[in-house]
Parts: sequence; C-alpha cells; structure tokens
Amino acid sequence: MSDEIRLQVKNLCKSFGVTKAVQNVSFNINKGEVHALIGENGSGKSTLTNMLTGIHPIDSGTFILDGKEIHPKNQVEANDEGVSIIVQELGTLSGLTVAENIFLGHEDKFVKYGIKNTNAMNKEADNLLEKYGFSRIKASHMIDEYNFEDRKLVEIVKATYFSPKIVVIDETTTALSQEGREELYKHMERIRSEGNTIIFISHDLPEILDKSDTITVLRDGVYIDTVKSKDMSEDDLKKLMVGREVTGKYYRTDYDEKISNEVVLSAKNVTVPGIIENVSFDLHKGEILGFGGLSESGMHEVGKAIFGASFDREGSVTLADGTQINDIPTAIKHSIAYTSKDRDNESVVMNQSIGDNICLPSLDKLASGPLRLLSDKKLRAFAGKYAKEISVKMVNTDQFVSELSGGNKQKVVLARWIGKDSDIIVLDSPTRGIDIKVKQDIYQLMDQMRKSGKSIIMISEELMELIGMCDRIIIMRDGKLNGELMRSPDMDENSLISKMV
Amino acid sequence: MASANTKTISKEEELKKFSIMTMLRRVLPIIGLIAIFILFNVLTGGRMMSNMNLVLSQVYVTMIAAMGVFFIMSMGGLDFSQGSILGLSSIVVCMISKTNIALAIVGGIATGAAIGAINGFFYINRKIKSFIVTICTMFLFRGIIKYLTTDAPIGGSALLINYDTTTLKLTCTLIILIIGFIAFRYTKFGTYLKAIGAGEKAAKFAGIRTDRMKFLIYVLAGAITGFAAFINVIKVGSVTSSGGNQLETQILIALVLGGMPISGGANVRFENIIVGSLLYIVLNSGLTMIGITTQMLQLIQGVIFLVFVAVFADRKSLQVIK
Repeated sequence: MSDEIRLQVKNLCKSFGVTKAVQNVSFNINKGEVHALIGENGSGKSTLTNMLTGIHPIDSGTFILDGKEIHPKNQVEANDEGVSIIVQELGTLSGLTVAENIFLGHEDKFVKYGIKNTNAMNKEADNLLEKYGFSRIKASHMIDEYNFEDRKLVEIVKATYFSPKIVVIDETTTALSQEGREELYKHMERIRSEGNTIIFISHDLPEILDKSDTITVLRDGVYIDTVKSKDMSEDDLKKLMVGREVTGKYYRTDYDEKISNEVVLSAKNVTVPGIIENVSFDLHKGEILGFGGLSESGMHEVGKAIFGASFDREGSVTLADGTQINDIPTAIKHSIAYTSKDRDNESVVMNQSIGDNICLPSLDKLASGPLRLLSDKKLRAFAGKYAKEISVKMVNTDQFVSELSGGNKQKVVLARWIGKDSDIIVLDSPTRGIDIKVKQDIYQLMDQMRKSGKSIIMISEELMELIGMCDRIIIMRDGKLNGELMRSPDMDENSLISKMV
Repeated sequence: MASANTKTISKEEELKKFSIMTMLRRVLPIIGLIAIFILFNVLTGGRMMSNMNLVLSQVYVTMIAAMGVFFIMSMGGLDFSQGSILGLSSIVVCMISKTNIALAIVGGIATGAAIGAINGFFYINRKIKSFIVTICTMFLFRGIIKYLTTDAPIGGSALLINYDTTTLKLTCTLIILIIGFIAFRYTKFGTYLKAIGAGEKAAKFAGIRTDRMKFLIYVLAGAITGFAAFINVIKVGSVTSSGGNQLETQILIALVLGGMPISGGANVRFENIIVGSLLYIVLNSGLTMIGITTQMLQLIQGVIFLVFVAVFADRKSLQVIK
C-alpha cells in the first residue's frame, strides 16, 4: 500500500427529486488499497460509486483520477477510464453468452471488416476464465445456464480482466455464499497487490474490518470521516455511522425460556420438485424457529411453501385447527404473514402508496356496511397508526413505496402484517441489505411478537442473527433437513456451518 | 438543531412543489375540456351548445365501454377487441330484439361476456400478452361480423326506436358509471385492481387472487360493452359489417385524453373515463362542425394523442404493460 493518491473526490453533490443523496462530499482514495465505504441505508454510498462508474450523471463536483478529471457517461466509458463495478444485484444480461457478457461494450476489438469474430471472442473469454480458475464456466454457453453465484463470478471477470485502476464492489458479498466470498476476497487481494484500488461497500462490519485498509464513513449523504481499519473496532464504526452510541439490546439475551408444547403449524412431507424434499417440522406457539443453510439449500422455498406460494407443492401444511394451507389467500385469512427475500418484487407493491401497501391484506377487515364500503379516513388512520407504530421514515402515507430505502420498505411490509395481526410470521431474510439501526428495530420487534405469543419462522443466510434470535435452528442442505440445534449460549457459527456443507 | 429544522422545511417546500405538479396533471384534462368546449362554441358561433343533444348522443356508448377498458387498464392490461365485441353483441341484440327486448339486452351482455372470457382464457391460462390476444380476437370476431352481414345489414326490431330517448340513454350511462365509481373508489375491488397494475407479483403475495381477478375483469369489460351494444342498437337500428369499428381506439384515446397513465397502477382515477370521453367527443364533433375533413381529423387526433401520452406516461412503470 502506498500513499500515492489515485482518486480525488471533490465537492460531489447529487439529488433525486427532493432527496439530497450526496452533499458536498470530498475525500481521497490511494493506490493499492482496499477502501471501504460504509454508512446506513440511504447514506449515499451506492449513489457515489454509481456516479463514478457512469450509472448516474453527476449533479456537481468532480472525480479526479490520477490527476485527470473524469466524467463517464456510461459504464463502458467508465471502463475506458479504468473504472469498473460489480453491482449488488444481477449485473449480467440474460440472453447473451458468457463471453458476450464479459466483453459487453468492448466487442470492437474482435470486429474485423465489420464482422465479429465470435470464435476469437470465446477463446479469449475461455482463457480469462481459466486464468481466474473458473474453468467450469464455458464462454460459449448462455449466461442463463448458470446460477446466481456463477453469474457473479462471471461479473468478477468482466469487471477486472482489463486491470482497471479502480474496481467498485457494491454489496456483492451479501449475495454470495461462503465459497463465493472466498473467491472474491482472493481477487480483491490480487488487484490490491497489483497496485490498483478497490472501493468496497458492505454492511458486514467484521468483513469490512478484516478486508479493508481504509474506511470512509458517510451519513445521510454527508462525509463524516476517513479512518484506518487497524485503529478501529466494530463499535467505533457503528458510532461513526449512526452518529451516536448504539445503545440497547441487539440480539435476544435470554437463554432459558422453555418452548411451549402447543403446535400452531405443522408441515408434513412438504416437497417442491427440484427444490425441497420431504420437509417436515412443527412450529410452536411463541417460538422463533430459524432456517439456515446455503442460499441454494432450498430454505427460501420453505417460507413460500408454508405461505401457499409454491408452485407444484406436495405434502401438507396444517394449522392447529386442522386448516390446510394450499394458497396465499387461505394463508393470509388464517393469520399467516410472509415477507419475501425478493422485497421489491414480492413484498411491496413498488408503484403504490405506503398506505395502500399497508391496508392491502386488511381491506376485508376495514370494510363496513352491507355494501362492504371502505372509507378513506379509516384507511388513512389505519395505515398511519401502524406506520407510526413501527416508525417508518416517510413524509406521509401517500408517499410511494418506490421512494423509500430498503430498510423502510421492509418496515412497510412489517407494518402491513402487524396491522393484519397475524399470528404466524414467516420472515425470509428480514434484515437483508438493512443497516444496524433498522436491524435492531426488527430484532426487538421480533422479540416483542414472540413474547405476545406469536410464532415466527426466520429464514436467513446470516448465521449470527439466527444464533442470536432463534429458539431452534433447522439447518437445510440440498433441499433436505440436515439437523436441528436448540438455543444455547455456546452455539457458534462453526457448529452451523458443519451441517450446512 | 436549527439547521436540521431549515432542512426539513425546505424538504417540505419541495414536496409541495411536487404535489403541485401532480395536481396540475390531475386538473389539466378538466381545464382542457372546458377550454376546448369554449373554443369550439366560439368558433362555431354557439352551434355546438345548441346541438348538445346530438353531440352527447355519441358519447354514451364510448363512455360505458370505456369503463370496462378502464378497469382492464388499471391492472396494466389492454383490450383491442372492444370494437368487435360491440359489433357482435349488437348483432345478437338485433336478432333477439325481434322476439323480446329484455332478452335482447341479456343476450348482448352474454355475448360480450363470452368474448371477454375468451380473451381472459388466452391471457391468463395460456400466458399470452393481453394486447396480442385482444388484437387476435379483434380480427377473429370482426371476421365473424363480416360473415354475418355479408348479404345485408342485420336490422333490429322496429320497436327499438321507441327506446331512443336521451333520458333513457343518459340514465343508463349514469347508473353504470355510479355503480362503477362506488365499486372502484370505495370497495377493495378498486384497490386490488390498482395493486395488480402497480406490481402483480407483490399483489399476489398480499393475498389477491390475481389470476381469477384478471379473468373476471376481462369478462366484466366484455359484459359492459355487451350492454353498450343495446344503447348502440337503439341509436343506429341495424348493424353493418363495420359496426363498432374503431371503438377500441376511440376508448384508448379517450382514456389517455382523460389523463389515464397507459400502464395503469396507482395513479389511475375514475374521472379519467368521464373527462376523457367528453373531451374526445367534444373535440371530434367540434372539429367536424368547423368543417375539418375526416382525413385531417385523424391527423389532428393523432397529434393530440401523442402529446397527451407524452405528458401522462408514467415512465417509471411503463415496462409493466402486460
């Protein structure tokens, strides 16, 4: 690591409508370092890197890369300047081959006399994949033949093969399994040792401390500080991000509470062809039951299956009163709530108001009179009450959900189900991509629900939160149940991992 | 603390600006309607006002049928088969009217509902985009109409003329609109439709039976147009091969003129139907009255349509047209 400056960020500003996403931010990034960017949701991390890589235009301010001002208008131009990005969600395009994805926007070098030499392109891509150690991925195959994880690996190749001066890695690790992460860390280390720079965005503070050299903290779009990782502890970082001491409980602290014998939901031989097989378990009253495993283990499908949202499900899901759950409306009617991992598509109706989103499953309850009419006043009061109860950050309930940050969207979903007063709550990755403050809110809410006799199923890829919150943890592997652990203060990640792989 | 206060105040101010923009979008069609109405009255020397009955007589069918399409478009679908539904239902109304007029109305509604069910079946069960399905059924049923009217137009019972009064047509239209308005605005029906338009998958996960809803809406829209066929028949008396032709485009233009976002979703408002249909008819009759030729009329309509689509298109959600 050297002290030579690679990138100067100067007086950078960006607004989206009324929200000031980045306000007058200035700092420097050195050569040959992993420079982490941290902050809560909506603090402007992604906005900043998106401007650097040409995804969003700059409102005002400059980026000076190696002494030269750059204004990339799109990702290809950014690549030409020596900046690339691996994005949080899928960054590869369906319908193209692996090679076409890797060289997207740079096909020119394979074009001769106006004709593209596909063979040369595939060969080059295969060489690259082999060099990176991903030889099981074939350049000529369609990208759609590979799973999320492999597609991320292709993106690593795509973003780094031309030795860019700066590689931005935007919350990629949360989407990857442990092996995928190791692969990514290896390449981060390689890029760093070649004297190039990595801008690393992650919510995982231990990971940040472990992998980065320097950390810049943003809060509400404003620059707070740049610090050396080795001088910092997790608590120091939290303090910088939140702007105050993080107080109160994080995870549950009790360890000796007995689980009730009363079974509220029982799954028997639930099978979804190709995804999960013969899954059977009982959920008790007032318990938090965790599901852990690799993301491909089928645990996410378990949540859908219980909610009646799986296609082609076999086996049975039965409630205490004998009701069979086979479709979503029946599930909701019998007090089951579900929050999906795919928050934007399956949990919230994006282009609709917060109020409508909260009221949606409760409309039957809110209708009155022989004609089952709804009153605006009543709906507004209902939505307002639950949005306030869980403190959604908003202007009013008429605001559209699409304008909210990830954490607040999740709060809207939770407000909806609290309003419905569901007794069985299935939470799939409830804290995915959410900052510590909201995470803490969600954990406390779960604890309250549990104490008031509601039962919770928590599906999560984050082992620490499973260990911290659950009464029982079921581990899944290859679509089957692979062991069960009871709550205990001695449990650590390793005891879970050994059952996962 | 003081700086935080000023910050929130400026945020509120900017939000106010935004809501003024949405207000403007909301009232623009109404202002447009009034402006155009006054303009044409001046241009025609008050002739439009004195011929109001005639002008309005064209609006009933469009307005009634537009309500069904409004429901479809709220949930993000489209329907191009409306003209053919009106044509075929009108033929059925004419044929049955010779035996019994009440039965004829039921027959028209049933025919429309049946075609709607065919649309719905291919759209939902066969998972084909709604505009493709309805373009296909538009041609299919237009073919049947042409076949049925090959030799001569199909005439209805002579008694039908007795029903051709402004009072009856106006009452029918109002009743249908009021029922539609209450259902859309004050029951879960409307919220569900908008939710499907704004995000179908999420709507499904919130407990809406989206497929059943979508199917029933196509049937309903067909049935509503089937009823409009009765109003159509009492006005024209008989059906030719071009009966109901172009109704689908009229409806589409009317709804867009009324300020309806073409992708449906949370921003649709029931007023879109009424304001839009009136705007369309006033514009059309006005242009005709001041002596614009049919060819020019289409050109002008095209330009106005484009301008309104540009103003009201909700670009963020345009990709969700189903």
